[in-house]
Amino acid sequence: MKPFDIVIVGGGGAGLYAAMEAMKTNPALNIAVLSKVYPNRSHTSAAQGGANAALANKAKDDTVELHIFDTIKGSDYLADQDAVEILCSEAPKIIRELDNIGTPWSRLDDNTIAQRPFGGAGRPRCCYCADKTGHTILQTLYEQCLKKGVYFFNEYFALQLSVKDSRMKGLIAMNIKTGKVEAFPARTVVFATGGYAKMYWNRSSNAAGNTGDGQAIAYRAGIPLKDMEFVQFHPTGLRKSGLLVTEGARGEGGYLVNAGGERFMSRYAPEKMELGPRDLVSRSIETEILQGRGFDSPAGKYVHLDLTHLGADLIMSRLPQIREMSMYFEGVDPIEEPIPVRPTAHYSMGGIDTDNFGRTVMEGVYAAGECACVSVHGANRLGGNSLLDILVFGRLAGRTAAEEARKFEPSQISQEEIKDTEASLRSYMQPSGHFERYGVLREELGQTLGMNVGIYREASKIRTGIEDLSALRERFRHVRVFDTSDVFNTNLLQVLELKNMLDLAETVASGALAREESRGSHTRTDFPVRDDEKWHKHTLATLEQDGMKLGEKPVSMGRYELQERTY
Amino acid sequence: MTGALELHTEEKRDITLRVFRFNPQVDSKPYFDDYTIQIEKGITVLRSLNYIKEHVDASVSFRAFCQAGICGSCGMRINGISKLACTTQVWDELSKCREAGIIKIEPLRNMPLIKDLIVDMDPLVDKMKHYSNWIETRMPESEIGKKEFLVSEEEFRKYDKATDCILCASCVSECTILRAHKEYVSPAVLLKSYRMNVDTRDAIHDVRLGELVKDHGVWDCTHCYRCQETCVKHIPIMDAIHGIREDAIEVRGARDTSGAKHAEAFMEDIEKKGKLVEATLPIRTNGVAWTLQNLLPMAMKMIMKRRTPPPPPLVKPAKGMKKFRELFREMTEHVKAEQKSHKK
Repeated sequence: MKPFDIVIVGGGGAGLYAAMEAMKTNPALNIAVLSKVYPNRSHTSAAQGGANAALANKAKDDTVELHIFDTIKGSDYLADQDAVEILCSEAPKIIRELDNIGTPWSRLDDNTIAQRPFGGAGRPRCCYCADKTGHTILQTLYEQCLKKGVYFFNEYFALQLSVKDSRMKGLIAMNIKTGKVEAFPARTVVFATGGYAKMYWNRSSNAAGNTGDGQAIAYRAGIPLKDMEFVQFHPTGLRKSGLLVTEGARGEGGYLVNAGGERFMSRYAPEKMELGPRDLVSRSIETEILQGRGFDSPAGKYVHLDLTHLGADLIMSRLPQIREMSMYFEGVDPIEEPIPVRPTAHYSMGGIDTDNFGRTVMEGVYAAGECACVSVHGANRLGGNSLLDILVFGRLAGRTAAEEARKFEPSQISQEEIKDTEASLRSYMQPSGHFERYGVLREELGQTLGMNVGIYREASKIRTGIEDLSALRERFRHVRVFDTSDVFNTNLLQVLELKNMLDLAETVASGALAREESRGSHTRTDFPVRDDEKWHKHTLATLEQDGMKLGEKPVSMGRYELQERTY
Repeated sequence: MTGALELHTEEKRDITLRVFRFNPQVDSKPYFDDYTIQIEKGITVLRSLNYIKEHVDASVSFRAFCQAGICGSCGMRINGISKLACTTQVWDELSKCREAGIIKIEPLRNMPLIKDLIVDMDPLVDKMKHYSNWIETRMPESEIGKKEFLVSEEEFRKYDKATDCILCASCVSECTILRAHKEYVSPAVLLKSYRMNVDTRDAIHDVRLGELVKDHGVWDCTHCYRCQETCVKHIPIMDAIHGIREDAIEVRGARDTSGAKHAEAFMEDIEKKGKLVEATLPIRTNGVAWTLQNLLPMAMKMIMKRRTPPPPPLVKPAKGMKKFRELFREMTEHVKAEQKSHKK
């Protein structure tokens, strides 16, 4: 096969923006986008609330500077300040660009792009399209990619990087429709595969496929992962399914209420109340529940998200999806009754370690979006900054790859490597020695992570979690793929995704054990205070010959000094 | 094949999912497998399928991703109707079963079958491309990212609902025209075209419209309303199809295409006689040459079977035509006035 200049893995917001920008940067390049789902199915579609940008349409005194400060403070000072500056100063441009190419933003009375308040932000700067913002952005980007003739390999599952003598030669992937393993020799590979928070399974708002495929592939190729211990728990997941109720619901004025009928946020964030940052609101709900002030039900303990006082008109026009989901999955109409909610694993701050332009330590390998850790979110991401992240850094990674692709020599991937990969996939189907059921292992993975590496963490529990994980990895060696067909073998996909989650779970738990402090989403009950002296730094997890090693990397500081973070 | 799926609530019962199976590698034709599991109230069809895949038969194949009704992956026919498995409650389906307690699950129609409940989406994507379903921006290249368009609430409202579409292809599966000819543009594509054509930021309205009025385009729809009835996002798809047609007649004139001519001939007959003059309808729609070439054999067959429509002079005006014409005129003026006020 003729080598590609760029192979982009992932067809969500970051991958599609990278593709668009790469084509724009150099139309002569041979670019492919691989995605395990049709791009319009990607998890970007589930982002409801919006994307932050200091357009100053709603609050005339909003500035990029204020956005930068809110983001750094929100990150509990773990974000790299130069990266945050890029994120926030590019924001207005990129939101306008999306408007220019068709994103149906909601509008203010003066016909400009609408903005709403969001958690942890000092001004209403979250641009939205009702509660379908991510969906409409993804549609817009997919439409534009079809227009530009981007070459898609839909329903391809990425398996591994082909690396020889620490030189990246391309990607190996499986065509899901045929089951064939195929080579994608490439000068550059951009990972944009989304997050890994689905490893918490039933206590996760994520799509079934948010299994950290890109991170796991990069990790196994020796590329370090950064800040993996930081997993954001979104305060308001539906009680039964973990599915998400957007922060927009609180942005529009929703209340959080405990079983005593009290708006308990007044005790935790008296000023911002329900619009405190996500880590704080999640901990507050969890504390209410742990201290017995939550509601109880067979499907778990919970608190109420009350929208009833907002009225039918507002709920129907601004939060229609939320109403639909509450009715489908909880049997509750938020116009009439409060919604039962509890925190749910939602977002992975950690990811593939990149510089501000998407480059990883391996030449020719780039990453962007939730899959990467630049880091702009540090220890806690602000609502409305993740869509922004995938847009800004998806575009930057696409541009950088396009500019640098021709610097790297094209190479080929050997038939032998393809055959070996094919054989390793078939081995899961061998009856002898393979008896573990995928579903059982996955369930236990979610449970041990939720219990031992969840919102509240402490050394002894995390150690239990790490032991569980290594036992699970051992059992995984005996996992069996019961479906032996080549065509669309979703059973095989599930097993491969589980392997990715198991590999990454070790980095999450080990990072959590090492970091003896509480910062952002990472809360250690045995080390309840932020420890800047010892821990104002990123953690790096690298897979070496004899297993995982933890390292560190300094935080880029700028004009904002370390401060206590209060709301 | 049995098992149990529980939420720890009170109501539960044995339910059979009768699942369409076909693996092109081994099966010469499709068949059904019955899976009987204990299911509680509150469980969705997707969760039941997941349960079957994990505990009963790992080879059952279907697509699913977000599980929250927004990605559109899990479109399938449940008890004969195309919908999303993730937002469909098993309990709600019980009253719709042909055989009590047996829920039938089949792949979407009108798209090539790949395996079990999985169909090929590529033809739909190809049609999206064919009809240029994207915004070609009016913003000059040098201004992109620097300025935002000003869009009024009224302009926004025109495409707001259409942008709810998640391309689950339920409407495509239900479309009665597509069953007859697969080249037909399809409802989801028309909806997207409409959404682009009413967007004031777009510059290729006329190009898109020019393609839409050709063969297999907007005029082929027979108004059966199946697409709109089954839309999982409750989008008024027929309004979009009518919108494109009205736009086509307005912009391109009533004599532009056979579709427009057909609509015009309809109007003429209804106004004159209150019913159709079917014998001459093909000639007025497609011309003499086309009619002779394409419909002569059928006409001969109809004569043999004495099924020919009456010749024009024998089509007498319907009863009460005077009153009807008054109403017709009133309606036409009302529609015109409304269109005018919309434009303002």
